[in-house]
Amino acid sequence: MPEEKGGRAGRWRRRLLDVLGRNLSVVVLVLLCLISSAATWREQNPITSRSGAAVARQVLEACQAPCSVLIVARDTEADRVFAAAIEQGLDAGAARIAGRVFGQPRDVRLELERIVGAGASVDAIATHRIASEWGPVRTAGTPVFAPGSYHWPTFLTARNLLNVVNQNADIAIIALGMTLVILTAGIDLSVGSLLALAGVIAAVTAQEWFGGAAASPAGLLAAMLLGVAAAALGGLLSGTMVTAFRVPPFVATLGLMMLARGLALILAVGHQRRLVGGGAEGTPEAVRVEAAVFAWLGNGAVLGVPNPIVLMLVLFVAAHLLMTRTMFGRYVYAVGGNVEAARLSGVPVTAVLLAVYCLCGAFAGLAGIVDASRFEGGRPNAGELYELQVIAAVVVGGASLAGGRGRIAGTLIGAMIIAVIQNGLNIAGVASYEQKVVFGALILAAVLLDRLQPKIASRRARMTRASTSTPVQ
Amino acid sequence: MKRFLLAIVAATVLAALGACGGAETGAGEGQGAVAARGTIGFSAMTLKNPFFKIIADNLTAEAERHGFDVVVTDAERDVNRQSQQVDNFLASGVAAIVLNPVDRIAIGPAVRRANEAGVPVFTSDLQAVAEGVEIAGHVGTDNYQGGLLAGEAMIEALGEAGGEVLVLHFKQANSCVLRVDGFRQAIGEYNRDRTEGRIEIVAELEGGGLRDEGYRAMADGIQAYPDLAGVFAINDPSALGARTALEQAGRADQVRIVGFDGELAGKRAIREGKIYADPIQYPDRMGVMTVRNIVSYLDGEDFERVHLIPTALYRQADAEQDPALD
Repeated sequence: MPEEKGGRAGRWRRRLLDVLGRNLSVVVLVLLCLISSAATWREQNPITSRSGAAVARQVLEACQAPCSVLIVARDTEADRVFAAAIEQGLDAGAARIAGRVFGQPRDVRLELERIVGAGASVDAIATHRIASEWGPVRTAGTPVFAPGSYHWPTFLTARNLLNVVNQNADIAIIALGMTLVILTAGIDLSVGSLLALAGVIAAVTAQEWFGGAAASPAGLLAAMLLGVAAAALGGLLSGTMVTAFRVPPFVATLGLMMLARGLALILAVGHQRRLVGGGAEGTPEAVRVEAAVFAWLGNGAVLGVPNPIVLMLVLFVAAHLLMTRTMFGRYVYAVGGNVEAARLSGVPVTAVLLAVYCLCGAFAGLAGIVDASRFEGGRPNAGELYELQVIAAVVVGGASLAGGRGRIAGTLIGAMIIAVIQNGLNIAGVASYEQKVVFGALILAAVLLDRLQPKIASRRARMTRASTSTPVQ
Repeated sequence: MKRFLLAIVAATVLAALGACGGAETGAGEGQGAVAARGTIGFSAMTLKNPFFKIIADNLTAEAERHGFDVVVTDAERDVNRQSQQVDNFLASGVAAIVLNPVDRIAIGPAVRRANEAGVPVFTSDLQAVAEGVEIAGHVGTDNYQGGLLAGEAMIEALGEAGGEVLVLHFKQANSCVLRVDGFRQAIGEYNRDRTEGRIEIVAELEGGGLRDEGYRAMADGIQAYPDLAGVFAINDPSALGARTALEQAGRADQVRIVGFDGELAGKRAIREGKIYADPIQYPDRMGVMTVRNIVSYLDGEDFERVHLIPTALYRQADAEQDPALD
């Protein structure tokens, strides 16, 4: 009987390891988050209504009534909430408010000069930690009250977590398209250039065709769609090269990569030249879009979640359904698994490949629109070396470069793994050169795992057989 | 086997942590000892160019003297990376941000986010011109004046003979556009009353402001313009790249080079006669003055919001007496 108990525990352990092994990328992601949190364990200085109320209590406890208090805060939303809470707290006690500053250190100095000039005095300054370091506050010669700080990982702050995903939303969106291409045992090197081309086309057409500063939302949408369409067309071109002319995807998309980058630069420089009235030399700077609404997609937020993240999530759900619930999804896996077998069993291989490259281009174009919106203009130099980051995300997410194996969800996790490493290293202050080493090692590790997988699977099968064939001991 | 694999992955991850953990404790020590006044985040244009490294080093040293800790990041000429660095600075709660804006317009949204968060942004070398952004202070070179000096140096180098001149540009940077504007202005003045010995600017090629790209552009330039008498390269790395290309083509004696910056390698080349002259910039002063601006800002003092440092011409005679070159 005790033996059976041990057996059950063993089975549980085996099952746990099995689950962990199958979701290795999730495990790695969680580990990375823990590590990043540990590495960014820092002092945090709260600027909230609660900390404001706490400061007010401190002041009231320490100060002899009647006590005149100067409230110092910056001109930001959070600071105003904080200051309002201080004021509310002080109103309840015997303190009098000598003045309020919402601004810079210089404004504090001027306000103090004004108060002293008016013959009044300040008995206490209520502020937050950051402003308590300002010169005029420190040298005012009055007690300064600020909320206490606490320790918490900077990585695990809402602002930072949203940053992490937001900064990599474009990479993740392109990685969707790249997953499809890689599933068919192909590769697309042109995504970074198509991103730039889409952004520049959207920006130039928004400025020159759709009214510039006065462009309507519909006009801007049309400009954006033109950008995406151009990128999709680019994808269709490399798809045609791959299917009709049997050009290896690597070479076909390498050509498109240079072609699209050149076009983006030509369009941007041409626009700049027209901007200064011709004749003069244009510069490859960003093509600025004047209409303010254009920036909404990249910089706006829905319920506090930045738009690029929302877009990314929607696209991932759509792509996941496409790949798991539709005939097209099964075709893509079939083509990647074995082209000849797929062809013989009636899969329209050419059409599938064309669609896959076209979709990949369109996703890159969408990312380009997000980028252009984020920077309020199309950047001809945008997306340089993105292809490598994107391929890394897909590979780390478990897709096999040999085709036929990989999941959309895996790619999302792969993109997030890269995002978390990058962010963790950035916040921890690791130089970009060392980051490159870490990324290189990560990609090699992922490919190595991919290579080892069949071996593990066969070994696991053998072990299962062995354990079932010897039931009695 | 599975456990073994998990262990491998965990070890890799931990090794990565070891790398950042090491850097972390280094920064942490600094923080504990002196950084009473908080952290300054600096996003450099590219640390591959020694010019920006000098800004970073002087900024760091001066900031530490004033009780700040400095985090230096490399934007690698990518405004996307630079914006991310700004966001990361904001998330980690820095006291001030210093930028060499990679793209003077596209960096706008990131600067605006810093403005909204109440964190002051200072620029050095390059200025940001995006609409609705608030820059607390700027220290840079008077690039137009530097361009004028570069033109004077070219006139001096070519003498009465004049000749064809090529410009190795880096148009993405507005500072370089100003230099070339100044250069053209000086050459135009010189040519105005002349029929003979004119200096003709035959082309502007993209030298990327980097040694390898400058080399390639110059190698092509030699083919296209066999009668070149001079080259104006908008910075030292591209000037040195051009020199290599000219030497390989056996044309180094016929084509005079005027560079820009006055970084160590450039000054050495001037001493050896490989570059005729440089209008020199003072990246060391830029770093130091930027920190002083930050201190003035935080102390609530008034200071010059835009400070342009004039350049000075540096020729072989200056290099021979320069103790820094030994």
